[in-house]
Amino acid sequence: MTINRRTLLQGTAALAGTLALPRLASAEGVLKIGQVNASPAADIGWAKQHALGIEAIKAEFGDRVEVTVVDNTFLPQDAERVFREMAATGHGLIFGTSFSLGAPMQKVAPRFPDVAWEHCSGIVHLDNLATFEAKYYEGMYVAGVAAGHMTKTGKLGFIGGFPIPDIVGPGNAFLLGAQSVNPEITCNAVFLNSWFDPGKEKEAASALIAQGADVLLGMTDTGVAVQTAQEKGVFSVGYASDLISFGPDSQLTSVVLDWSKDYVGAARAVLDGTWETESAWDGLAAGVVTMAPFHEAIPAEVRAELEALVVAVGSGEVQPYAGPISDNAGNEIVPAGEVLSDGDVRGIDWLTAGMIGTLG
Amino acid sequence: MSELAISIFTGTLIAATPLLLAALGELVVEKSGVLNLGIEGMMLIGAAAGFLVAVQGGGLLPAFAVAALAGAVAAALFGVLTLLFLTNQYAAGLALAIFGSGVSATLGVGFGSQPIEALAPLNLGPLADLPLLGPLLFRFDIMVYLGLALVPVTWWWLNRSRAGLVLRVVGEAPGNAHALGYNVLRIRFLAILWGGALAGLAGGYLSLAYTAIWVENMTAGRGWIALSLVVFATWRPFRVLAGAVLFGGVTILQLHGQILGLPVPSEALSAAPYVATILVLVVISQNRARMALDVPLSLGKPFRARD
Repeated sequence: MTINRRTLLQGTAALAGTLALPRLASAEGVLKIGQVNASPAADIGWAKQHALGIEAIKAEFGDRVEVTVVDNTFLPQDAERVFREMAATGHGLIFGTSFSLGAPMQKVAPRFPDVAWEHCSGIVHLDNLATFEAKYYEGMYVAGVAAGHMTKTGKLGFIGGFPIPDIVGPGNAFLLGAQSVNPEITCNAVFLNSWFDPGKEKEAASALIAQGADVLLGMTDTGVAVQTAQEKGVFSVGYASDLISFGPDSQLTSVVLDWSKDYVGAARAVLDGTWETESAWDGLAAGVVTMAPFHEAIPAEVRAELEALVVAVGSGEVQPYAGPISDNAGNEIVPAGEVLSDGDVRGIDWLTAGMIGTLG
Repeated sequence: MSELAISIFTGTLIAATPLLLAALGELVVEKSGVLNLGIEGMMLIGAAAGFLVAVQGGGLLPAFAVAALAGAVAAALFGVLTLLFLTNQYAAGLALAIFGSGVSATLGVGFGSQPIEALAPLNLGPLADLPLLGPLLFRFDIMVYLGLALVPVTWWWLNRSRAGLVLRVVGEAPGNAHALGYNVLRIRFLAILWGGALAGLAGGYLSLAYTAIWVENMTAGRGWIALSLVVFATWRPFRVLAGAVLFGGVTILQLHGQILGLPVPSEALSAAPYVATILVLVVISQNRARMALDVPLSLGKPFRARD
């Protein structure tokens, strides 16, 4: 309850901020761009990578754009007001950076047909509402191959925030990558049912290591898994940002999200008058997903193999979800010779064979 | 297997430590007749302030001192509002919780990507090398031992010392204490400061020892759990310990359960610590007559000296 109250207060304060800001300056011919974030501003993780997208726009267009950012807009009713205010105060391009902002965006966008709306990790398109998303699983597959080479126990550990497709899918790809090295490798999965609980994440990481996992992947928004791996002398894979500062000896690589192409592309299209609603879903090839430098603990020839794999996965030559794939209950999901369809990738609700855990 | 058991046991005590510190502080506050709902906020302020000192190279012990101090300063604010200005304690406590989360977020801006060196285990020399007992009992950091030591100390101080008796009288019948010449407000204020310092220390434990990082709202509700532990433990220190260990233990066990692939939804397992703690503490608090004796009679009621 209190958290809601708090976010409500912050949302209201943030709203007051948006009301005041646009009146300060609005020169002719300047594109006003808005960004609404559900989470607080952070120094690493998901929110940070989206802040970098805005930085990229500023660097690219300088005085031609004017940016308003509103953080901590978690409640849909707050978000709706913030979006409406932004549109009403002359913002021509508005980004929403969380799945949960979808409903308010879909509600407000039709009332402002001249505004370009971009929703990250959204699924619904409208005439003026576009979506963009990254193929995390491509990077996770490559990271899994690295993990497969480096594990000694043959057990990997996966810590997810919630059992949703955006988390479960990349987790599966991670294990499939490792199994391409050694089919016997298994992965224990823990879901915290929370995005921000570093203490619980630490407990989960310690528990995984105690049960024999020696490469950890944490898909939450903190550096705790990488840090715990460092402390206990095992390896880890980072997510969203490069987390090497948390585990100089432990982080094999990190699946880093770089949204700048989506942000700059959308801003340029709006400035040029060519913006159209589309669904961007890019990965390694477009540089939306990048790999942090492979750790020197990985043998040089494996590192070369991984660099080549980045290219091969990016080009589609290697398909992480190529059959045969069955789930961990033994049901066949993808027959041999076929590849999981894009739609099915985005709706993954099964754990691949070798995953130990339940989705509830 | 024995290594796994050791890991579960030690993990439990470590997970219980922040709960224990915060709850023991709140217990003393409530025994003085004041209900401070703002533990979560004080913990966050302690966590952020301590981390700031450590990340700037101030050393870990000063960092813990600053964490405790910051918690006490936040508590002092609550004390002034409720004791001097007779603000409603419930409202002021809730405000403190929200205020602390905002203040700590502001303090911590820019430090989220900087890890620090975590508090190392205490060097207990040959004791740590004992077979079985060494890894089981003698490889914790100093704060774990401090938390455990505070349990009997708090019990003894409340029940066997003169100062503790005075504090309890203030919590039961502030009018009588006042008539006997005790300064009710001063005693309550000191209790509030003590509670704040321990909450700050508990927060500092999270950001300096448990996970040596700063993340906004990193206490993730532990302040509220500590608060309810005090009530469920019927204001008795050893039951607070039992509750904290139980909560920490079931948290760790449910994670191990998930890792082993128990065919139970992770959401249900995540709820297990709350259910187990409530159940056990309710069962051991069955004796209503005894329980009535434990509740500080004037809990949450403001006191104004008539002169």
